[in-house]
Amino acid sequence: MKLRVIDSSGGRGIPGALNMGIDEALLGSVSRLEAEPTLRFYTWSPPCVTVGYFQSLEDEVDLDACRRSGVDAVRRLTGGGAVFHDAELTYSIILPLGHELAPDDILESYRRICSGLVAGLCRLGVEASFEPINDIAVGGKKISGNAQTRRVSCLLQHGTILLDSDPEKMFLLLKVPAEKLKGKLIEDVKSRVTSLAVLLGRKVSALEASAAIRQGCAEAWGAELVEGRLSAAEVSAASSFTAERFSSPAWNSRR
Amino acid sequence: MIGRKDYKVPGGKLIRVEIEIDAGVVRRAAVKGDFFAHPEEAFERAESGLAGLHVEELPSSARQLFGEGLLAIFGATPDDIAFALEGAAREAQGH
Repeated sequence: MKLRVIDSSGGRGIPGALNMGIDEALLGSVSRLEAEPTLRFYTWSPPCVTVGYFQSLEDEVDLDACRRSGVDAVRRLTGGGAVFHDAELTYSIILPLGHELAPDDILESYRRICSGLVAGLCRLGVEASFEPINDIAVGGKKISGNAQTRRVSCLLQHGTILLDSDPEKMFLLLKVPAEKLKGKLIEDVKSRVTSLAVLLGRKVSALEASAAIRQGCAEAWGAELVEGRLSAAEVSAASSFTAERFSSPAWNSRR
Repeated sequence: MIGRKDYKVPGGKLIRVEIEIDAGVVRRAAVKGDFFAHPEEAFERAESGLAGLHVEELPSSARQLFGEGLLAIFGATPDDIAFALEGAAREAQGH
């Protein structure tokens, strides 16, 4: 199995709308067979809150607080919940349906793709395991959330690996049912979520994490990872999707 | 009248329903939440199919619409969605 790898995890980070635009552009080029199946690693700058396809951005996110804090807010192509992307490594993988990592059974494809991340986390010294449906956990605490969509005969899955976490900051940006519940929700997240910084007692950079996860994916999937970059056509498609979809109120506020 | 219902599925996801009912007929209904549905467009078709339903037929029709064979929902079942819709409809009717 051969995969193209596009890794910007050593860079300064990419705005949220563009990150989502690039993922959709990759979906298009892999679908049209213009590109090999692709594994991408990235980070976010400024930090960004994303919400799932079926969520309402206005219901879930305090957009004024985001504006005040310089945090972007974007609705994803994938389902799932609201995520605050700050100190994390994010990956996406785009595969034609029928690929050995993309069987018909959606839960099985989560398991197969996540096996690479689990192996990578183990290389970093963390005893991680896949937790169905779509999480990876260490000692019962979540360190990675993953979300998948299937369109144009391809699978797109993206997910996070938490380098560090700051639930207090996250809840400044999310709407909660009642202000008095905020303290309990923060404690709840602290008890259910962990990060590489907490587990290893040191700061792990996105680049260090992506290097380990790349090795883990190569090993667990039996894959040859070939260093690549976005083509000119992918850059141009990404910029259209960013402008027309992920930066547009028509998309972000559709639900 | 508009009714809303948030329903956290035990062991599953949060369904957030908003429904507008006029003279016993659903004018508009939105089923939002942190669940997954494949294909996403099939879920939205089921959601659009709620408009025009009579309140009495809402739970059974919702179960049918969201239970459609090609649609796979993770984190909620068609029964859960029907339950949330029923709750929102009750609120919309002032019960």
